[in-house]
Amino acid sequence: MPRASPLPAGIPRLLARRPHLIAAWLRWRNAYRCKRARVLGGAALVVALAVGMAAAAPTGGLLQRLAASPAVTFALSACLFGLSAVHRQARLRGEAATSWLAALPVAGSGRLRLALGLIVGLLAAVCFVGVAWAAGRITEPTASLLVLLTTAGALVGSLAGWRLQGRAAAGAPGWHYAMVRRARRRWATAPSLAPLSYWPVAQARIFSRPRTTSVVVLIVLLAIPSGSHDVPGQVAIAVAAGSITFFTLLALSAAAVRVAGDAARWLAPTTIRLRSFIAAYVWRVVLEQAAVLGVVIFLACAVDYPHALRAGMALSCTYLATSCAAASGACVWACRRVGLGTASRGC
Amino acid sequence: MASAMRDGESERPALQVSSLHAGYDKLAVLSGVNLELSRGEWLALLGPNASGKTTLLHCIAGMLIPSAGSIVICGHALRKDAMAAKRQIGFGCAPDRLPTLLTGRQCLEVYAAAKSLAAIDAEVLELAEQFAFTDMLDRFVGSYSLGTRQKLAVLLALLGEPALVVLDEAFNGLDPASALVLKKHLRARVSAGRCGVLLATHALDVVERYSDRAALLLDGRIARQWSTEELAALRAMPGEGLEAALAAAAAVS
Repeated sequence: MPRASPLPAGIPRLLARRPHLIAAWLRWRNAYRCKRARVLGGAALVVALAVGMAAAAPTGGLLQRLAASPAVTFALSACLFGLSAVHRQARLRGEAATSWLAALPVAGSGRLRLALGLIVGLLAAVCFVGVAWAAGRITEPTASLLVLLTTAGALVGSLAGWRLQGRAAAGAPGWHYAMVRRARRRWATAPSLAPLSYWPVAQARIFSRPRTTSVVVLIVLLAIPSGSHDVPGQVAIAVAAGSITFFTLLALSAAAVRVAGDAARWLAPTTIRLRSFIAAYVWRVVLEQAAVLGVVIFLACAVDYPHALRAGMALSCTYLATSCAAASGACVWACRRVGLGTASRGC
Repeated sequence: MASAMRDGESERPALQVSSLHAGYDKLAVLSGVNLELSRGEWLALLGPNASGKTTLLHCIAGMLIPSAGSIVICGHALRKDAMAAKRQIGFGCAPDRLPTLLTGRQCLEVYAAAKSLAAIDAEVLELAEQFAFTDMLDRFVGSYSLGTRQKLAVLLALLGEPALVVLDEAFNGLDPASALVLKKHLRARVSAGRCGVLLATHALDVVERYSDRAALLLDGRIARQWSTEELAALRAMPGEGLEAALAAAAAVS
């Protein structure tokens, strides 16, 4: 008589002995069933945007340039996939320590989950190049070269990221990466909202893990055969520095959006006004981003890069405005959900 | 004029909940809750798991919009004048909702500023001292144990002399010495008529020894209430007292 399976119906056989994957699968399936229209709509929007971007004329030009600079393409791919591997592994380690499945006498399927992440990311990159080729924006040899370089960079970067994180302290909690700021002398007699801004900045440090990121970039730089592909070393260094800058800015923006909900929920029972909340929460994130962009523009001007000041200022202002709007939007949405800063509340 | 207004506010009940209905999406959790609490009164909210205690507290704190009914805090309807109503509340949030990436000191400072306080009450700082919490002030909340987080949540709730203190399982995780300090502190505030305390709890010793009244929430409505006299009678009874009374009330409902 066949033994009855305790697993819910519809679980793929591949997952049967991997409870961590089953849990993730069920989470996704439940989210899909509960919010089918939203999930499908969101996915369709993302696909449409990606296809639109891939088929756009400027993308073709950019891809042609990337194909003409193999070392840069390889470095970019290695950086992106290396950091992705570092983050995914850090998250898996954190989950291994805190997950409700942590005490089970089974492996966490970490390698499989890391590999799945790599495959999905690589597939997305290949599809992007494929769409650009299908739309006639790049030639077949260019597309093949880009796929080859991206795959090679992804493999090297993922391996480097994996090895690097493997040597790092296991299960370090998030706050380990944040800095304790010295308390103001008048904190008790004249309390201020200013420390609220430390929260998204600390979260950004957790996202970006500067120490790990810098080592990944160093490894990738050392892996670049500078000069052999007509790419001078300074270009490779500029690409690596640009990647670090980009990830720092992105981490700050992502953290500001990510933490807004928690902050609003925590302060919901207080009488803080919406504008005060947004101002106190967002200003330091924007200030740090402005400082990073300012340093980049200064360096670009120092090496006499043409149009550095004009283009840099325009790009920086656009980015800062977008980041500020995204963080403020997240704050408004979060505050409305929990009734923070609203004058009336009820049916 | 301000003092006259304050006097007027102190005469009004700290909390009036009428015909409250609330839930999450299609799930109805509260269906017609009626409750009243005065300053100088400690009301224990009892009920089995998933009976709607936390949902009721979230509605009172303005974090969840009820589908029907009204909540009035010190004369201010939460629906029409949320800010004035919230000014009177001290809400003890769940320990896992505290910001893990801020230090205890930063939490106190931000919360006090968010409540528009000119300074952090000396009494709250003294309570932190009694909790042996002062040494933890400059550590990240993420590094705190459950009990330490609970202490911080209580300290935040007591900031700014609230007329209504709303606490959800506030003694969970507290060591016995700190729990005793907190019970005595709350009792002193209540006895002085400075606030009303609404405490959702499963700790029957707190209900028997410190509460003035108790209410049993079952299936989203108040199934039974015990007055001060009834609680005193239960306290005097040998044996199971309140535990047996709770079981009997649940069985009747």
